[in-house]
Amino acid sequence: MAQPSAFSVMRNRAAVAEELRRLLPRMEEDFRAARTVPLGLSVIDRHLPRGGLSCGALHEVVPETQGTTPTAFGFIAALLIRLSTPAISSIPPCGEGLGVGVGRPSAGLDALRQPRDPPPYPPPQGGRERGRRPLFFVMPRYGLGPHGRLHGHGLGTLGLDPARLILVETAHRRDTLWAMEEALRSRAPLAVAGMIDKLELKLSQRLQLAAVDAGLPLLLLRPASTLESSAAATRWRIGTAKAARDRFGLIARARWHLTLERCRNGRPGEWMVEYDHVAHRFSLVAALADPALSRGAGEQAFGKTRRA
Amino acid sequence: MLAVAAAGGPRIAALNEAAEAAGLKLGAPLADARAQAESLQVRAVDPTADSAALRRVALWATRYTPTASPWGEENSADGFFLDIEGAAHLFGGEKMLIADLASRLQQNFGLPARIAVAATPGAAWALSRFHTAPLTVLPSGDEAAALAPFPVEALRLTAETCTALRRLGFKSVGALLDQPRAPFAARFPAEFLRRIDQALGRLDEPLVPIVAPPVYHSLRYLLEPIFTQDAVVALASRLMHTLVHVLTRDDVGARALRLSLYRVDGAVETVDIGLTLPTRSVTHVARLLDLKLEALAATQDAGFGFEAVGLAVIRAEPMPARQSKLDIDCHPEVQAQRALGDGPASSAPSFAGHLRWPPQDGDDVERCAALIDALRQRLGPHSVRRFEAVASHIPERAEILSLVDGEALQSPPPGRRRSTADSRRAGGSCTNDEAKTGHGEAWEQTRRPLLLLPRAEPTEVTALVPDGPPRRFCWRGVTYEVAGAQGPERIASEWWLLRTLNPSAHSRDGEDPILNGAKAERQQALTRDYYLVEDADGHRFWLYREGLYGRETTAARWFVHGLFA
Repeated sequence: MAQPSAFSVMRNRAAVAEELRRLLPRMEEDFRAARTVPLGLSVIDRHLPRGGLSCGALHEVVPETQGTTPTAFGFIAALLIRLSTPAISSIPPCGEGLGVGVGRPSAGLDALRQPRDPPPYPPPQGGRERGRRPLFFVMPRYGLGPHGRLHGHGLGTLGLDPARLILVETAHRRDTLWAMEEALRSRAPLAVAGMIDKLELKLSQRLQLAAVDAGLPLLLLRPASTLESSAAATRWRIGTAKAARDRFGLIARARWHLTLERCRNGRPGEWMVEYDHVAHRFSLVAALADPALSRGAGEQAFGKTRRA
Repeated sequence: MLAVAAAGGPRIAALNEAAEAAGLKLGAPLADARAQAESLQVRAVDPTADSAALRRVALWATRYTPTASPWGEENSADGFFLDIEGAAHLFGGEKMLIADLASRLQQNFGLPARIAVAATPGAAWALSRFHTAPLTVLPSGDEAAALAPFPVEALRLTAETCTALRRLGFKSVGALLDQPRAPFAARFPAEFLRRIDQALGRLDEPLVPIVAPPVYHSLRYLLEPIFTQDAVVALASRLMHTLVHVLTRDDVGARALRLSLYRVDGAVETVDIGLTLPTRSVTHVARLLDLKLEALAATQDAGFGFEAVGLAVIRAEPMPARQSKLDIDCHPEVQAQRALGDGPASSAPSFAGHLRWPPQDGDDVERCAALIDALRQRLGPHSVRRFEAVASHIPERAEILSLVDGEALQSPPPGRRRSTADSRRAGGSCTNDEAKTGHGEAWEQTRRPLLLLPRAEPTEVTALVPDGPPRRFCWRGVTYEVAGAQGPERIASEWWLLRTLNPSAHSRDGEDPILNGAKAERQQALTRDYYLVEDADGHRFWLYREGLYGRETTAARWFVHGLFA
């Protein structure tokens, strides 16, 4: 007698929670964001609101340590590629059901992956147009500091056409902020990326508002030591892992340890992913053909988590 | 009084009124002058400061006409020409113009001026020097009669020629004009007849303007001087409004603009603006000016305010009318008028323009160009750049950062080939065309690091065999255990560059030590063996060993050159 009633209460609660979660972005006026771009890995996309990385939001990317800055930068490049490749969302997600994510996957929230309501207005550009608008990268004149400078051929290696990237060099932090906001407000680029060392809450709110208004994503590379609160929609912490090797022992794909530290209207999570620079997609390490190899990699990832 | 060093002792170069009253004369020896007048103050002539001052005044005079040309040494460097053709009616005629010019020179600079208007620069020069009245207007065609009574110096001849003419008995210009030309041509330098012809208008005399003459120009005088940036920008946008009509009429847009601010005290401030794409937008130009003025606020000084503001289009480029916006060009009357006016000549470029400007993405390109313009105004002209591949296997030389221009923004989506001419222009050091056929193909297909260190950093490496992969390396004080190394990728020095450099290095030996040093370094450039190295934590590095063991060197050095994602 009590059993079914408790079950129905639970069901009701689940339905109510789901409904509330669906309404929450509207209350925060995030629904203005025209579209979301899925990472192509449902395990991760499930954690993100509306099933993907929101265009029209500020996203922070933080390396785990100072030494993993190149990896964090690689992740930004990969996100830029996801954002700029027109046909990318048609690639079927892979690694489904084999998630090693530490977050709690819940079947009831799968509905969140597909937004129920159609977007308030159609996205401004079609797929062909999206492929042509440039990407802006704003960075201080000293570049990435001890990590050298951006290498166009290296971007090409990751799959991003260097000719599409426009570099903006600034002399002061104030100019960096101004340039990023200016680029967002003009709505000319497809996405804006940048790096900045210090960012107060107020300034991050300002950037977030600019990104929301423009409907463009702003990807910020932050130094490893950042701890201050910010208005960013997501904060990713990126670590390195031993690369995937083919049967000849050569490096096949880079492996990254992703931690979704903060995610507004979503849930944090932790994954070990591979990035395929040819197909422009992420896949979970566990989805590899060789189970022994993947188990080893997964264990290593969890060991790292426990240490952290 | 100013003195200049000359043959036979210093001579008087310039006098003030008091000295003139004392009976001193230009060109007289300084010793005589000292004997003649007591309490003489003598300063050395400073030609540099003189020419700078003259330049300043000439720049100020561009408020009357864009073509102001300060006199060079051959014109005795103490005045300037103004080409007032087509400008005089704006001031109520030539007489009014020179009266205004004279009074302003007196007020602003305290300069008493002698001004003459004539059909040729030579005649104007002579009149301003030798006519009794300080302000003269000579009707066109009267040059010969007007110049006849003047001494031969009025023809801007060298001192030697003048002396020779005087010895021959020619004291006035009129005496020279009547003579047959052939004997003079035989006895005097060609310059003599040229000067006569120039004065009489038989020969053209090109003027070198102080600033490049604008294509389109708009200027406004103010009753009250303005100080604030807002006022300047508001006025400039009004000037731009007037320019837009002419620009639209001619189917062009501005690629470079210059804002001239004429200060009350005579100084002129100029603000130059370059644009990525031709534009006719008033708001865009106003915003760029606003940004630029803000960036220049520290160095620029409004002084007592600006009394005139001019906006000039320095470079105009074709900008065909587009259909996407409601424009005056779309008006049927305007189009009909154009069809009647110049017919096929104008229709051809506008058609090509439509191909280049598909209406649906034109807005994107325009917005992008506007953004780049705005960024450049505040951050500096070289702050917005993009990667450009260069045909070189040496990683640090394989790309350059080039400025973003309008063509680059309109470039086709990646994958389509660019012409070789384009690539050659873009990549400065490109020598072989075959290696660089297209933009899409020029990017390396092999694995390259995401970040490249600006300078390869030496590192301590432990390896099992001298020409084997590294096992352990120490970089920036941290020791990394190598978990896996992949390589080598062997990149040899670019011998085809050495072959072209060698002969010049020999022929110009010892001329430029830095250049020769660079060449020597290039000659000795060693082969590099690159390894992709991964440490136990998954950090990936790009290391190289310099020199082939046993063939090029016995102790190979190791460097860290890049970092992988």
